Amino acid sequence: MNGPNEENLKELFERFLNSKQARRAVEDVQKAEQILREHPAPKPDKELIADIKVKIARALPRRKVNAFRRIAYKIAAVAAALILITAISVKLFEKSSGESGKKIATTSTMPEIIWESDDTAANDANLATLTAEVEQIESEILALQLGENNGNGYKAVTELEMELIEINSDFWKG
Amino acid sequence: MAENDDLAPMITGCKKGAPECFSQLVDIYASRLFGYFYRLTGDNEVSDDLLSELFVKLVEKISSFKGGSFDGWLFKIASNIFYDYLRGKQRQKKLLEAQKKQLESNKQKAQQSDNDRIDKLQIQLKKLDVDTRELIMLRFYSQVSFKEIAKMRSEPIGTTLSKLHRGLKKLRELMN
Repeated sequence: MNGPNEENLKELFERFLNSKQARRAVEDVQKAEQILREHPAPKPDKELIADIKVKIARALPRRKVNAFRRIAYKIAAVAAALILITAISVKLFEKSSGESGKKIATTSTMPEIIWESDDTAANDANLATLTAEVEQIESEILALQLGENNGNGYKAVTELEMELIEINSDFWKG
Repeated sequence: MAENDDLAPMITGCKKGAPECFSQLVDIYASRLFGYFYRLTGDNEVSDDLLSELFVKLVEKISSFKGGSFDGWLFKIASNIFYDYLRGKQRQKKLLEAQKKQLESNKQKAQQSDNDRIDKLQIQLKKLDVDTRELIMLRFYSQVSFKEIAKMRSEPIGTTLSKLHRGLKKLRELMN
């Protein structure tokens, strides 16, 4: 086997060694490769070569089937990915729609403490009391505005306001 | 070393699944690849098996050859097959037994002049570590450039040169 390739070995070795060392390295390589050339390996049997050719002929149709299978698997994988992406998208869309509906509910006028409470009866009673008191205050304010409390209007309004604040704070404390 | 231009029509034919093109490649490369496997395993039967495995693998992999040095690409597959073979526990055991047998029979054959030279090389090659032996055989049988070998082995060219130089120097000393 002559000249494995057209490489300039000396030039190659000189990239790592000085000129003298590179020359010696090239000699080492050439002499060792000469030994390999002088000791050729056995050749493969003709029967083996014939057998390999038969094996190749057998493997060729299998390769076509395998290629078809690979294409089929790829198509199946792409289809599965598309289905999965579509399913996830639909799910996400539904979720985001649901979340916007919830936002509307939380901005309603119902106090959160009552909304989340399980004691419906007590809450209803509290609400009834609050409503009654607010109505009473309303009528008293109206009476004051109409001048029905004998000229002591300013003090009465202040008292009413204080009462309103007190009721309100009592209510929210539960 | 087969030129890529000469090989191009054969490779194209192989990609299309033409058996005669594969046959041509077998005729061109079988000797060198067999020599490569034989020098690494020291066993005729194992070399036969590995050579068959290589060409069957070539049928499967030819479509993945995208150009460049075909020799380098083919010997890379051969190298992988050799290392896979070594990795197989059972096979490794078999190799050791085969090597033992080989060494014994080689000693007996050592008297005969012609065979003596061949066997002597095989005996001395066994004294090198697998990696160095593989590198020497890859260089000798694949006939690809050092640059290509370094690329195949994923190591710097300086490392490849240094390993090969040391290995060949040691082989020379052993042979002398």
